[in-house]
Amino acid sequence: MDARPTAAHSTPLALVEVPLGGSPVSLDVPIHSTVALLGDEGTGIGALGGWALGLEAPPSGQVLVYGTNVSTLPHHERLAFRRRVGYLPAGEGLLHNLSLRDNVALPLRFGSSAAPRAIDGRVAVMLAAVRIADVADRRPAQVNEEERRRAALARAIAFDPPLLLLEQPFDGLTHRTATELLEFVRGGETAQGGRRTVLITAQDLPAVVHRRIEQVYRVTRSGQLEPEPAH
Amino acid sequence: MSDPLSRLGNAAARRLSDIGALARFGFGAGRAAATLTAAGRVVAWRVALQQIRFTAVHAVGLVVLLSGILSFLVISQAIRELGRFGVTELIGTLMVIAIVRELGPLLTALIVAGRSGTAIAAELATNSVLGEVRALEAIGIDPRQYVVVPRLAAAVISVFVLLVFCDTVAIATGYVAAALNGMSGARYFEIVLQSLGAGDVWLTAGKAVAFGTILGVVPSYYGLAVRRAPTEIPIAASRATVASIVGVFVCSALFVVLR
Repeated sequence: MDARPTAAHSTPLALVEVPLGGSPVSLDVPIHSTVALLGDEGTGIGALGGWALGLEAPPSGQVLVYGTNVSTLPHHERLAFRRRVGYLPAGEGLLHNLSLRDNVALPLRFGSSAAPRAIDGRVAVMLAAVRIADVADRRPAQVNEEERRRAALARAIAFDPPLLLLEQPFDGLTHRTATELLEFVRGGETAQGGRRTVLITAQDLPAVVHRRIEQVYRVTRSGQLEPEPAH
Repeated sequence: MSDPLSRLGNAAARRLSDIGALARFGFGAGRAAATLTAAGRVVAWRVALQQIRFTAVHAVGLVVLLSGILSFLVISQAIRELGRFGVTELIGTLMVIAIVRELGPLLTALIVAGRSGTAIAAELATNSVLGEVRALEAIGIDPRQYVVVPRLAAAVISVFVLLVFCDTVAIATGYVAAALNGMSGARYFEIVLQSLGAGDVWLTAGKAVAFGTILGVVPSYYGLAVRRAPTEIPIAASRATVASIVGVFVCSALFVVLR
């Protein structure tokens, strides 16, 4: 089985009857679009990222990434697959004994065959792009929440993935910062002709961010997936 | 089958299963080391050097103190007792067999297990509880490459270096003990060096590698086995230390049996 996402699969991410809010829910995330799923903790949307990446298996149904159920892949193929999917876990998931610079560099150092100097160059560009170059040598505990989030997002797009899974990406940020980061992670027009595909899971979204997202759904406690119009 | 026998069988099966899981974990770490990228190797060495600083450099004083006291006690007592039978020449054999071959490696391993084994298990368990290990997996990094391989390499190197210190200090302190008990220094070194063969040096080196492997793999295994609650961290550290010590003693016995 080919572990790499390919253009042959037009749907980057598909939820197939996964249990959200106690009921099976299906949803396709179209290519180059940004989709947000909102819901309380009890609905289970916080587990979607782990299910998609094969970190845990859903109790029923499946999450397909480019047509592949990642949890069924052999260990090393699963790791290779994950490098093509950017992931921002809730709480950022930065390593606290590393500087922000080393956190951003880590996936490139272990997951690419690029020379150390080339990796350092790419990391410097990414740190500048998320505007944390001046605090890049500090550890996560020495910077504020916004800077940690910027570093975690830079790490998530280290491999320039076509698909991003973001858990509670805007919690605790100002509306202006949230908007800036949303546009940054979506990316501009690419050589393939479109932006990244992004799935956001959160309890709520700032109105200014909500208006910029193509599809926003709320998962109700009864397991319904209801489109949520912008405020 | 009676209940006690059944329970005994289940306990034995669990132990064997644990040993199998540990062996798989160790081989997995070896495979992970073989697939490190060039930049990954640089990071792994950087982590390993930090571990060596804590495991070896910071433990030199303790190793010198304890190996010195151990050697002084053994040699002082031995000279007095062997002198009564006129066989003080056996002091060389005693030094090589008891201290260099057996007690030195065991003492070194106990020190590393007590200081660093506990620390490794607690650190990795904390990383696990904080979600850092899961985050590594999520971004496509094999946690064994980043957290286990450097600690395994550091443990092997540290035990080897500390064992050299331990044996050197033990032989030097034996000289002091011999001198204080009426044996000339020249005679002491002569009989010790006569008893010390190349096989003893290779055996000690083999034990350093074997003990270092145990002390790198076992605490990492127990540390990474923790998944959720912070209350599991001290339990993991305790289990790792006990299992490491048992593993080292069993391994030491196997060296004797297989020799």
